Amino acid sequence: MELQKFSYDNRMTRNFAIATIVWGVVGLLAGLLIALQIFIPAMNFGLEFTTFGRTRPVHTNAVIFAFVGNAIFTAVYYSLQRLLKTRMYSETLSKIHFWGWQAIIVAAAVTLLSGFTVGKEYAELEWPIDIAITLIWVVFGWNMFGTILQRRTSHIYVSIWFYIATWVTVAVLHIFNSLAVPVSFMKSYTLYAGVQDALVQWWYGHNAVAFFLTTPFLGLMYYFVPKVSGRPVYSYKLSIVHFWSLIFLYIWAGPHHLLYSSLPDWLQALGTTFSVMLIAPSWGGMINGLLTLRGAWDKVRRDPILKMFVVGITAYGMATFEGPMLSFKTVNAISHFTDWTIGHVHIGALGWNGMLTFGMIYWLVPRLYNTKLYSVKLANIHFWLATLAIVFYAVPLYIGGITQALMWKQFTPDGFLKYPNFLETVAQLIPMYTIRAFGGALYLTGFLILVFNIVKTIQAGSFVAEEEAQAPALHSESEMKTQSETWHRFLERKPIRFLIFATIAILIGGVVEVIPTYLIKSNIPTITSVKPYTPLELQGRDIYVKEGCYNCHSQMVRPFRSETERYGEYSKAGESVYDHPFQFGSKRTGPDLAREGVKTGKLYKPNAWHYNHFIDPQKMNEASIMPKYPWLAQKEIDIQSTPAKIRAMKVLGVPYPDNYEQQAIVDLKAQADSIAKDLGANGIQTDSNREIIALIAYIQRLGVDISNKPVKK
Amino acid sequence: MHANNDDKLKEPHNTHQESDHETQIKFFGGHEEYDGIKELDNPLPPWLKYIFYITIVISFAYLTRLVVFKDETIVQKKEYSKEMAAARAKTEVAAKEDAVKTASQPAMTQEQILAAGKVTFDKICYVCHGKFGEGLVGPNFTDDYWIHGNRPEDLKKIIVDGVIDKGMLSYKSQLSNKQIDQVIAYILSLHGTNPPNQKAPQGVKVEKQ
Repeated sequence: MELQKFSYDNRMTRNFAIATIVWGVVGLLAGLLIALQIFIPAMNFGLEFTTFGRTRPVHTNAVIFAFVGNAIFTAVYYSLQRLLKTRMYSETLSKIHFWGWQAIIVAAAVTLLSGFTVGKEYAELEWPIDIAITLIWVVFGWNMFGTILQRRTSHIYVSIWFYIATWVTVAVLHIFNSLAVPVSFMKSYTLYAGVQDALVQWWYGHNAVAFFLTTPFLGLMYYFVPKVSGRPVYSYKLSIVHFWSLIFLYIWAGPHHLLYSSLPDWLQALGTTFSVMLIAPSWGGMINGLLTLRGAWDKVRRDPILKMFVVGITAYGMATFEGPMLSFKTVNAISHFTDWTIGHVHIGALGWNGMLTFGMIYWLVPRLYNTKLYSVKLANIHFWLATLAIVFYAVPLYIGGITQALMWKQFTPDGFLKYPNFLETVAQLIPMYTIRAFGGALYLTGFLILVFNIVKTIQAGSFVAEEEAQAPALHSESEMKTQSETWHRFLERKPIRFLIFATIAILIGGVVEVIPTYLIKSNIPTITSVKPYTPLELQGRDIYVKEGCYNCHSQMVRPFRSETERYGEYSKAGESVYDHPFQFGSKRTGPDLAREGVKTGKLYKPNAWHYNHFIDPQKMNEASIMPKYPWLAQKEIDIQSTPAKIRAMKVLGVPYPDNYEQQAIVDLKAQADSIAKDLGANGIQTDSNREIIALIAYIQRLGVDISNKPVKK
Repeated sequence: MHANNDDKLKEPHNTHQESDHETQIKFFGGHEEYDGIKELDNPLPPWLKYIFYITIVISFAYLTRLVVFKDETIVQKKEYSKEMAAARAKTEVAAKEDAVKTASQPAMTQEQILAAGKVTFDKICYVCHGKFGEGLVGPNFTDDYWIHGNRPEDLKKIIVDGVIDKGMLSYKSQLSNKQIDQVIAYILSLHGTNPPNQKAPQGVKVEKQ
């Protein structure tokens, strides 16, 4: 067989690797900033742009889509060419992919800091950016499949199975979760409401973890662990079983983010059970990673890259065991809404994603620059700093999370909450938050050492843009067929069929879970007293979303005595039917707000209290860790946007009366005037057109409807 | 035929060994490799298979309990009703025991009552009435002016029923009778303490304390 000569394109791998490093610094800095803000509110520098509700999405998006995203592309652009013995399909597509993705990241950072957000976690970006993501993702897929189809190997290796599953699932998740009705350029309302929105969002959110943070990194692991160690993969059979079971089961697990919420019981149960069934498939990946190193443990002791892989894969095993445990309702009743969850995800992010990325960069960059790593010793120091950092980061959050949950649940013998004041439970966490920030700072320090080490390596080497290679051409179909071929071997040389099967596997769970909530009414029982928001409340809600209040406040009272005693009646599915988007939240850094507006409730505060509290929370509660929001009293409500917003809501099926758009502004002003008047009577002089007025109107509406009339059905 | 095909698939730098020299385990598919990566033909670890089977059985058992048998212990609404009923029963018992205990114990001294009242005040009341009772959104407790009167029974009525329109909550479900009496004693003790940053007087001047 004649050997064909060709070359691998290293430029894109290099570009993505550098982007990974740059965005890594940004993402970690943003993380450290919000870790400090959580116990030093003044760390927002008094600016709306750098306040927690806006910087936290920047941190999560930067780490997931910029740092990990670029790391995925680095791995794909390097390994795909070599595993398929071919050059990337199109240099133009590669360039569009690279620069398009970086432009999206910049646009994301700028718009999130400016307060443009959809208000759904890890999917905050507004519709024009969502469309750009879709297009760039298609370019990536086109380039990847183009490359696969022009391959010189007969079969596709397990890494590529994971890349294919990643590509198709992320596309499906992103498109369906982002469907929205635009109000204007950079403002839209999500298509789904309340419980349905929550279900779609966590179907997306959980699988962003599964198919952005997990499957592509398993692909990365399957390439780099055997490459770096020079050892064969432990078990081909295991890779088949854990691949298919993982992608099939993962997609069902989303509802475990909504346990004890107003999501129907059967959906919650699917979330729990499919999470539990995921233990073995996830561990299959860990075993195949760790046992590949059998016979190379002496190397592991010496090589910081392999050490990073071992810690990373171990962290993956820990996180994928802990995840199913947190999906048990009894455990979730304690862990949910606390810092335990934050600790859990950071074992995955700092351990699995971080360590694997670092290892890959330390191995790859010297090869791209035809040189040796500048300092193995520094890489070793980085390894130890990062490992210690994970411990310092996670342990205090576990302690803090459990402590706070137990305080929330504690009753006196007389039957009253032992800690009725939420702030008392927060005060316990301050030392934990301090240690966590130290852990984060350690991790960042380690990463800066990587930056130095890599810069020095690049300076010492010379870039190999084109790497010469040779391989025989691919055999024709008939030659490849053998009688003893297994079905999976067959599939491995039919990438399009592989894609179709993977797509079917990942669609089943979503279809079974999402569609019945639309078709079967009993899943979301109607409550007749629940009415749409007034125009002012709607504007206030948009401000609530814009400032990212959901990052710290939940709106979901769970059916526990400790919650109904603290907050009031537990939340019902029928209450949020006009909530585009839902604002259940996932973390209670501050108290739940679902019943905040109920006058006869446990939490009600007068307008004047809210006004003073927004301006200066520490004046009302010295120990409060909420940031000050003085700009809300200065900025004016965008009253002119009201008719368009009402129109969009009507498109979504919110029953405002006919032609209400015209009446809306009048109603808005009247309600605003009455709130301003009430504030005036309590000694606060303010114009009625301020954002704070709208936000107060929204807060005072929360949870009210259900107590107006008895619940029907 | 098979062997021939495998020969053709070989990469130029392919080594000819069929099993791993470290573990003596056979490679999958003979000589197949991807960019130098080989795969071993190991079976699945049995313990992992068993974990998988067990989790599947547990999961389907759980789903059946919920969906088919509607088991009380896992249907959310029923779980909540049970928890509330159990709590009610428990508090009733505790209240009876407490009554017996209180009767047999010497009464609290005035200092003890004030100290207990301060604990409640510092947890709840200070949010609106200020740390020293100087008034914030709620009225000042330290001056001579009272909106609803300053007899203990006046204060009790406000704490139990609230003044909803003004933002004063009803605390009857958050504080016990004893706690309410203690905090009233503490509030009344604040009169004349003259803390800084006092809120302007509200209500009518009451001469007698």
